[in-house]
Amino acid sequence: MSHDSAARAAKPDVSATTLRPPRNQADRRAISWWTVQAMILAVPVAGAAVAAYWLFTDRSTWLGIVTAVFAAGCLLLAVAAPRAYYRVERWEVTGEAVYTRKGWLTHTWRVAPMSRIQTVDTARGPVQRLFGLADVTVTTGSAAGAIKIEALDHELAAELARRLTTITQATPGDAT
Amino acid sequence: MSWRKLSSRSLAASSVLSLAIVAPAVTVLVRTLIGLDWPLGATAAAGAGAAVLIVAGVLAYAWARLRSTRWRLTTERLELRSGIAVRQHRSIPRDRVRSVDLTADPVRRVFGLTVVKVGTGEHPGEGTELTLDPLPRREAEALRRTLLRTGEVPLGDGGALAELRWAWIRYAPLSVWSFAGGALVLGALYKLLDAFGVNLFTTGTAAGAWGWVTARPWLAVPLLVAANVVVGVAGALLLFAESWGRYRLEREPGRLRLRRGLLTSRSLTLEERRLRGVEISEPLLLRLGGGARVKAVATGLRKAAENETEDVAALTPPLPRALAEQIAERVLGLGRPGTESPLAEPGQGATSPAMSPWRAGLVAHPAAARRRRVVRAVVAVAALAVPAAVPSLLWTWQGGWIWPAAVLVIGLPAGLWLAADAYRGLGHALGPRHLVTRRGSAARRTVALDRSGIVGWTVEQSFFQRRAGLLTLSATTAAGDGHYDVVDVGTGEGLDLAARAVPGLLEPFLAGKSSEPRISPGLPTPLYWTS
Repeated sequence: MSHDSAARAAKPDVSATTLRPPRNQADRRAISWWTVQAMILAVPVAGAAVAAYWLFTDRSTWLGIVTAVFAAGCLLLAVAAPRAYYRVERWEVTGEAVYTRKGWLTHTWRVAPMSRIQTVDTARGPVQRLFGLADVTVTTGSAAGAIKIEALDHELAAELARRLTTITQATPGDAT
Repeated sequence: MSWRKLSSRSLAASSVLSLAIVAPAVTVLVRTLIGLDWPLGATAAAGAGAAVLIVAGVLAYAWARLRSTRWRLTTERLELRSGIAVRQHRSIPRDRVRSVDLTADPVRRVFGLTVVKVGTGEHPGEGTELTLDPLPRREAEALRRTLLRTGEVPLGDGGALAELRWAWIRYAPLSVWSFAGGALVLGALYKLLDAFGVNLFTTGTAAGAWGWVTARPWLAVPLLVAANVVVGVAGALLLFAESWGRYRLEREPGRLRLRRGLLTSRSLTLEERRLRGVEISEPLLLRLGGGARVKAVATGLRKAAENETEDVAALTPPLPRALAEQIAERVLGLGRPGTESPLAEPGQGATSPAMSPWRAGLVAHPAAARRRRVVRAVVAVAALAVPAAVPSLLWTWQGGWIWPAAVLVIGLPAGLWLAADAYRGLGHALGPRHLVTRRGSAARRTVALDRSGIVGWTVEQSFFQRRAGLLTLSATTAAGDGHYDVVDVGTGEGLDLAARAVPGLLEPFLAGKSSEPRISPGLPTPLYWTS
C-alpha cells in the first residue's frame, strides 16, 4: 500500500494549508468540443425566443430588446462557459495517486490512490471522436469514488489507461 | 459425499402456509357465488372444492420441488441442483463462503425447519447466494458450523457482545412510526378487509364516522390523534418484540453472529474482515430519549429483502447511549484479522477493546459552521413566512396576518434550535485506527471508519464555504454508504486531518503558504503527464 512507506509529515501551519491545483489541463480541442455541445442547446433556445418574438408578439421595441439580450446571453454563455470550464478542469497522475479538480462555483477535488483503483475505462462519444478526444474514468471500490478525467487527446487517454492498468495490476490486495 | 434431499417435513409446512392463500380465495369465491344467488349447499361445496384444489396444488408443487432438489457438501464446494422445469446446478467454493444466514418463520419453527442462505458476500444480489429451503434445524446449524469453520480457533470463543434486555423496549416507541403508525395500520387493515370484499366506504360507516368528526372537531381531533399514537406505540412495541426478541450479538472466530426474532428467528453472520467501522445512529426522538443504536459499516452487505423488519447493517436494537458506545467499541476492537493495520500503535492488537475513538471527545468545527446553519435556518423560515404573508398583503383578509406570524413564532425558535443542535453535532477525531466523524440533528450519526478502509478523498468547497474558510472532506470507502463526510471543517484543519488519516495520499497535493515543499522524502518522484 502506498501509505505504508510514507513518513508522517511534520505538523504544518494548519491555517495556511491548501490544495494545489493539479498540473495538467484537458486538451485544447476540448474547448471547441464543449462549445459545440453548448451550442446544440443554446442555438435552438435563442432561435426559439427570436422566432416567438417575431411570430407571436406585436414586435414592440422593449420586448425586442429583452429578446435580443436573452438570445445574445445564451450564445455568450455557450461561448464563455467552456473556456471557464477549461480553466478550472485539471488533472494529474503520479506514481501513487490520481488527482483531479473541477467545478467553478463549487470546487471539487478528488484523490484516489493507485493501490485502491479497481477499473480504468476510456470512453469516446460520437461527436467527441470527431475532435479526437476521450474521457478516462477510474473507479475504486467505493460507489462514490469514481474519478473522471475529461477530454484528453485520445492517444494520451489510451496510454494513460494502459499505464494505470499496469500499475494497479501490480498492486496486491483486493483494493477495498 | 452423496446428494442429499431437503427436509420432507417441508410438505407439511407448505400445506399450512397454503392456508394463507386458501382463506382469501375461498372468501372471495363464496361472496361472488352468494352474489350470483347460488344455493347455500352448492356454494359451500364450491368453497370446499376450491380449498382442496389449492392445497393439493401447493402440495403437488412442493412435492415436485422437493423431489427435484438435491444438495451436497464436498470437501471443496457446496452444490445445489434444483428446478422442476428448468434444471439448475449451482455451486459455491467452500473457501468463498462468507455468510450463512438462517431464517425460520413461525410455521417452519413449529415443524423444526430452517431456511439456509449461503452467500459469498462479494457481489450481493442474484446468483451469488444459494438457498436451501428448508433443512431440519439441527442439520442447518451443523452446516453453518461446518461451512464457517476457520480451523485454528476453537468454537465458542469470544462470547456475547450484547444480549437483549427487555428494558430496552422503552426506546421502541421513540420513532416517527409511533406517530405515523396508527394511520399505517388502518391502511393495512383497510386493504386486508378489501381483499375479503368488505368495503368500509360503501357500507356507510365511513360517512357516518366523518359526520361525527366534523360535528365536534374539538373533541374528535385530539381523540383521533391520541388513538393514532396509541396504535402507533403498540405497533412499535410489537415490532420491537418480533424483531429483537431473543436478540444476541456474539463473537465467533473471525466473524460476528447476530441472532434475533421472537416469532421468525434469524441468524446473520458478518465476517470481521468485511467490517470497515461502526456507526452510532441517533434519530432525534431516540436521542432526546437518551438512546442510540449501533450499525455495522461493512462491505458487500446485501440489500434488505422486502419482508425484513430491520436494516441488514443493524447490530443492535435501540438501547441506552452509553451501552451503544461500549458495544461499538468492542466491535471496533475486532478489526480485520490478517491485515493488521499499519496505523495501529504497538500493543493495540486486533483484539484489544481499549480503543475508544470518541472517548477523548471530538474536535468541534469552526464558528463559521454555526453561522452557516443559522443563516440556513433563517432563510428557510423566511421562505415559508413570505408565501404565508402574500394572501393577507394582496387581499384584505381579516386576520390573515396570523399565518406568517405563526410561521415566525413557531418556525424561528425551532429552526434556530435545530441549527444550534446541528452545529453541536458536528465533530471529528482521529483515533489510532479510525477516522471518526459526527453530523446531523434530525438523524445524528457518529461513524468510526477504519483508516485502512479509506479508498480515496473527495474535497468539496462551495462558493459560500470558500468565503467562510470551510470545506467538506469526504472519505470514500467500499463499505456502507460509499462515503463518510466531515462536514464544514476549517480548510487547513480538514486537509491536515485527511493527510494524517491516510499518510502519503494527500500530502503531495498540498501547498502550504509557507512555500515549503510538502512532498515527503520517502516518496518516489511523481510521474507527471503532460499533454
